[in-house]
Amino acid sequence: MSRRDADDRGGARSAGLARDVAGRLAGKSGRALWRSLDELAGEPRVLEMLRNEFPGLPDLAEARVGRRRILELMGASFALAGLSGCGGGEAPDEAIPYVVAPPGVVPGVARHFATAVTRGGYADGVIVTHQMGRPVQVEGNPEHPASLGALDPIIQASILDLYDPDRSRTVLKAGRIAGADALVKALSDRAAALAARGGEGLRILSGTVTSPTLAGQIGALRQRFPALQWHRWEADGRDTLRAGAMLAFGRPVDSVLHLDQARVILAVESDILDGAPGHLRYARDFARRRRAAEEGDVGGMSRLYAVESVPTLAGARADHRFALRPHEVEAVVRALAATLGAGPAEWRQGAPGRMATAVDAMARDLAANRGAVLVHAGPAQPAATHALVHAINAALGAPGRTVTYIEPVEAEPVDHGESLDRLAADMIGGRVDTLLVLGCNPVFTAPADLDFAAALAAVPVSVHLGTAVDETAMHCTWHVPEAHEFERWGDARAFDGTVTILQPQVKPLWGGWSPHELLAVLGGETRPDGHAIVRAAWARRFDGSGGGTDEADGRRWADAVRSGVVPDSAAAEAAVSVAPGLAGRLPPASVGPEGGAPTALFRPDPWLRDGRYANLGWLQELPRPFTTLTWDNAVLMAPATAARLGLANEDVVAVTAAMTGAAGSVEAPVWTVPGHAEDCITLPFGFGRKVAGRVGRGVGFDAFRLRTSDHPWELPGVELRRTGKIRRLAVTQHHQMIDSPDLVRHATLDEFRRNPTFAKRPEPEQSLYPAYEYPRNAWAMAINLDSCIGCNACTAACQAENNIAVVGKEEVLRNRQMHWIRIDTWYESGTEGGAAGRGEPEQTLFQPMTCMHCENAPCEVVCPVGATMHDTDGLNVMVYNRCVGTRFCSNNCPYKVRRFNYFNYSEDDSRLSLSWNPDVSVRPRGVMEKCTYCIQRIREARIAADRENRPIRDGEVKTACQQACPAEAIVFGDANDPDSAVSRRQASPLDYGVLTELNTRPRTSYQARLRNPNPEIAEGRDDASHS
Amino acid sequence: MPPTPDAVAGPDSAHPVIEPGVTAMSVTAHVSDLVLERRTPLWWWVGFGLSLALLGVFAVALGWLFIRGVGIWGIDWPISWGFAIGNYVWWVGMASGGTLISALFFLTRSDWRSATSRIAESMTVFCVACAGIMPVIHLGRWWYFYWLFPYPNTMSLWPQFRSPLHWDFVAILAYVMGSVLFWYVGLIPDLATLRDRARRRWQRLLYGVMAMGWQGSSGHWRQFKMLYLILAALMAPLVCSIHSIVGLDFAGGLTPGWHETQFPPYFVFGAALSGFAVVLMLVMPLRRALDLHGVITPRHVDVLARLMLTASLLLSYCYLMEVFMPFYRGERADIIQVMAQLGGYYAPWYWAKIVLNGVIPQLLWFRRVRRNQPLLFLVALGVVVGMWIERFVIVVGSLHRNHSESSWFIFVPTVWDWATLAGSVGLFLTGFFLLLRFIPMVSMFELRELIHKKTAGDGR
Repeated sequence: MSRRDADDRGGARSAGLARDVAGRLAGKSGRALWRSLDELAGEPRVLEMLRNEFPGLPDLAEARVGRRRILELMGASFALAGLSGCGGGEAPDEAIPYVVAPPGVVPGVARHFATAVTRGGYADGVIVTHQMGRPVQVEGNPEHPASLGALDPIIQASILDLYDPDRSRTVLKAGRIAGADALVKALSDRAAALAARGGEGLRILSGTVTSPTLAGQIGALRQRFPALQWHRWEADGRDTLRAGAMLAFGRPVDSVLHLDQARVILAVESDILDGAPGHLRYARDFARRRRAAEEGDVGGMSRLYAVESVPTLAGARADHRFALRPHEVEAVVRALAATLGAGPAEWRQGAPGRMATAVDAMARDLAANRGAVLVHAGPAQPAATHALVHAINAALGAPGRTVTYIEPVEAEPVDHGESLDRLAADMIGGRVDTLLVLGCNPVFTAPADLDFAAALAAVPVSVHLGTAVDETAMHCTWHVPEAHEFERWGDARAFDGTVTILQPQVKPLWGGWSPHELLAVLGGETRPDGHAIVRAAWARRFDGSGGGTDEADGRRWADAVRSGVVPDSAAAEAAVSVAPGLAGRLPPASVGPEGGAPTALFRPDPWLRDGRYANLGWLQELPRPFTTLTWDNAVLMAPATAARLGLANEDVVAVTAAMTGAAGSVEAPVWTVPGHAEDCITLPFGFGRKVAGRVGRGVGFDAFRLRTSDHPWELPGVELRRTGKIRRLAVTQHHQMIDSPDLVRHATLDEFRRNPTFAKRPEPEQSLYPAYEYPRNAWAMAINLDSCIGCNACTAACQAENNIAVVGKEEVLRNRQMHWIRIDTWYESGTEGGAAGRGEPEQTLFQPMTCMHCENAPCEVVCPVGATMHDTDGLNVMVYNRCVGTRFCSNNCPYKVRRFNYFNYSEDDSRLSLSWNPDVSVRPRGVMEKCTYCIQRIREARIAADRENRPIRDGEVKTACQQACPAEAIVFGDANDPDSAVSRRQASPLDYGVLTELNTRPRTSYQARLRNPNPEIAEGRDDASHS
Repeated sequence: MPPTPDAVAGPDSAHPVIEPGVTAMSVTAHVSDLVLERRTPLWWWVGFGLSLALLGVFAVALGWLFIRGVGIWGIDWPISWGFAIGNYVWWVGMASGGTLISALFFLTRSDWRSATSRIAESMTVFCVACAGIMPVIHLGRWWYFYWLFPYPNTMSLWPQFRSPLHWDFVAILAYVMGSVLFWYVGLIPDLATLRDRARRRWQRLLYGVMAMGWQGSSGHWRQFKMLYLILAALMAPLVCSIHSIVGLDFAGGLTPGWHETQFPPYFVFGAALSGFAVVLMLVMPLRRALDLHGVITPRHVDVLARLMLTASLLLSYCYLMEVFMPFYRGERADIIQVMAQLGGYYAPWYWAKIVLNGVIPQLLWFRRVRRNQPLLFLVALGVVVGMWIERFVIVVGSLHRNHSESSWFIFVPTVWDWATLAGSVGLFLTGFFLLLRFIPMVSMFELRELIHKKTAGDGR
């Protein structure tokens, strides 16, 4: 048989095959998936492909193909095989295969898009980084007033939330898959019936809504359904602030604080640093002011007082902190108000005796700094306290200077507790026949006495919109998967009212609806388009604000979407003043509980908030401030209280509300927190989810079961009964009482004035080895302890950036957590028998610890295979694929910042593989890892700089921790450049290295912390802080 | 108080190294019959069966380790070294017993050495095997253990020569090769004897091959003597160097409790103590079981007990220094470390080590104790256990109180930690029982030489 014959026969066979395939495909025209294949089958090039096993490769028999050519072709076909794996298979109609790359997408080059993440309705602007079309990292948007480029752990974890494999994917009716069409039909029919009777029985329940478009849509719905009622419920809400404003001003207003203007601040269990809308900005303003002394303006440093029952981050940073029982906190505020002329004189006697000196001194200090004074109270404080805070601020000339009152950011503000009470009553009363629950989970979070699940059973049609199937979804007739905020169009307002237009970062991974779309269906649309709704709303708004032409509108829209901020959209200032006769309007001062039973305080878990973030492993495993607790909540109490009750850490107690019969009892382990007020216990809520994903289900105990609508924050008279059980708690720091004077160096402002170099120690002798030389860069980091507020944002950002695995509770119990940067929390004890003797800290100190990139790195010399090395820019680099896992480096690291993959943590992590950051290696089992100074970011900048033939500019490389830090505590840069930010920080007299006596010569240095105590109080501190 | 007779009299006068009536012929006949002719006794089967069971535990423990990773152990952060390293030091320390007795005392021409050297060396071979496994399985990625070896490769990657772990790798490799070679070379003349006396075919084949053509010619003997002397001269310093380097594994680290200049000699003394103890533990039952009373006399036991006492005294000095030095230096982290040892979480372990290794061996000052073999066995057992505890305390106790107070934590061993330890004992015992059955447990040719020397009247 000649070669020609063989070719002919082969060609005929493959041509026949192609015809055959095409013929068979032609019959099946229904599915779009097959359609494209069908179209392809007709093209000559495809026929060619079908004929040859290796398309484009000349017939081996007839052509002389070099080895090189074969390899080229094989390489190309591998590349093509890879490409065919790209693109979404989810939406066959519109997916763009990357064979033809979308404009602007260059493999390996990141793209950035602005949007916002909302928390309790309030927006924080973010920039989402994309690689090859998929979002991989979230950073703060520097142009956004609430973020200024920073973020907190919850915002950081939003990227993990996007990729949560446990998110719901289909519309469910009574727990069964129903499909979107069925929902649209059912809802449309229902809406028609409702419209006929004016919307009687139609209710919407949502969390706090700041979205102008959503509020507008609900407003529009009222035209079709005049009787529509819109309820709001936020378990971790700010009702007390609203009520306080009503008491003081007679109308709701929001406050915007200006901590940069405040010389003296009083924080009344305030959440300004850890959760209030705008806390990232407040942290920055606060930290800048605190750095004043170090930067030369010794008088410019602010002074912070804190009175609180439960430790807050603001309290930890306070120059004077007083741990008081809740009623004492209120009494102190009243006494201060009286002293400052904002209340009747008899209030002065109300303050606890041991606080008398302190109250007087505080009052004098506040009065002396009139106009530069700020008092702020947190959401757990009663309305009366908030009203008094307004009064004190007014008396001290704060409004307009350190605080601005603005029109409420929340749309149609209501009292959430009351709103939910009314809804529940109506539901049970049969007055609700259609309920839309938009993205909240009342079955889990509602006060226990409402029994919301039972109430839901009385509602014929209930539709739950949520990103995951949760407790509420289980009790609703319909569940609709909600598109993640990164998958949909929308808008939201920040703490000051500034609007961000949310733009989708990716097509919905599992389908999903935006609330706008669901409401549009209720409004009568059958194929709602989220983009069109938001776009149209903004077209109207731009018009209304004087836009005019289509072109101008388009430009304004494009600019707003691109920058993540709608210009000039901040809320208008509200002209309010404290109405006279406040004292008369206030409820009587609360008195302490009778008997010895402790008071239970309900507080949100700092990361899970009301439980909505329970399925995010990053947040579950992120140590809580103060306790360093992960994967659990606990009954928190002062060590003295625990001693009085005969309890120890990890003892499981049954907590029962003696007062209210309705509420049940919970079993929970005990954890003592120095600095907690005595005779009260904190029950953090947000844990104990029963219906959550694989990560969040059944973690911790559910404190909501004790929380009632009458006692949302404080429940007096609870019983604690020891059960005899022990529950091991996964904390990440086991020793917190600091004895060493050298790790965290600090001084008062006076001591600093007298001895500015108090933090310095003699330099150790030099090494026998010759010093390294760095002709190019010498990277270094400076961490300012005076700025650090202990918020853990750096830890979370590092985890997201560097693909750090979540290990789970069992592994944290074995102390195998993987965080590359940790926040060491220290309680400085006083003299024996003084405050410390009672477990009361003199001071709480935070110290972020991460790899110091030592010049004489102890890890480097002991690695037998040279897997950890010094690089040309001074980094101590870790070569993962060279590591054999001797772990000697970890033993030899005096800072203990190296983390080891004892198991295959990355493999065991349930996160989707497409959510890993492609710029960073995912580490396998048996490999050591640690902070790299974000070497991938350095390399990116290096490549850019080399292409432009210039050195890397100062500030061009920002490490993830630095970028996240709201307080600008972390600065990174080139120590070779004397003008770089890091060099300036390290030139500070407060600069010191940790454990330098070991001659490690760390590249990361710290700037010592300064305190600015009031000399009038300093003497009596020990007596003042407790009875 | 007048000195006791025991203290002044030389050991020779009290007990001979060879009991009267033992001849060169009788030694050869008895020892080779043990291997070639005697029915395998019941105690051997029982012991071997138990050893195999333990070896099975080892196989399961290693299998699970290889599947899951080192996380199955209790090691954590900051205590990232645990049992595996402790076991390693323990085994390699016990191995020293054989080398010291056969090499060092060969060089000193001690005549009591001949009868016990084979038992001791065989023990060494399997101790070293157990020791060699430990650092490899301890690795997070054990399958790359050869990266510690300086082999030429296309990437021109070399090990980090500054790392004590690399020195350690080289030291243990040299020691394993040296001790196996030393043991085997010393066996050759005896293997030839067995070959010549064997009646069964497999025995002739086995010992024939292993004897490597030994003819007993004067040429062979000359070569043999020279080789054995050279090997002994190499092994004697090697046994010191390996334990010094094991000591440097720790001393080279910055960790408080490890960073001590005394560690190299400290580890040599510790190794010697456990080595003598384990030899005693083997010699006493074996002289009974193998009916070796004639050649392993109370004199041998006495010498070993005295050596153990000496090593215990040396080690106790190191224990004292270990506590004294941190206070002398005055470094905070070191003082915290020592105080934690004395009174912290691991204090019971610390005091157990002091009692077992330092206090109880002082009983050996008394001749009555040295003569009382069951008691002596218990003392030696205590030392062997105590030396394991010592390594545990050094590894874990030091790591749990480091410079970084925020990372202080404790180590709690898991069932897999214990299984690995027990399993390695199984490996040792299995190997040792096999040798017991197939290898002459007394060096016949050396004894013949010794008997010749003694009967010729030119002994010391």
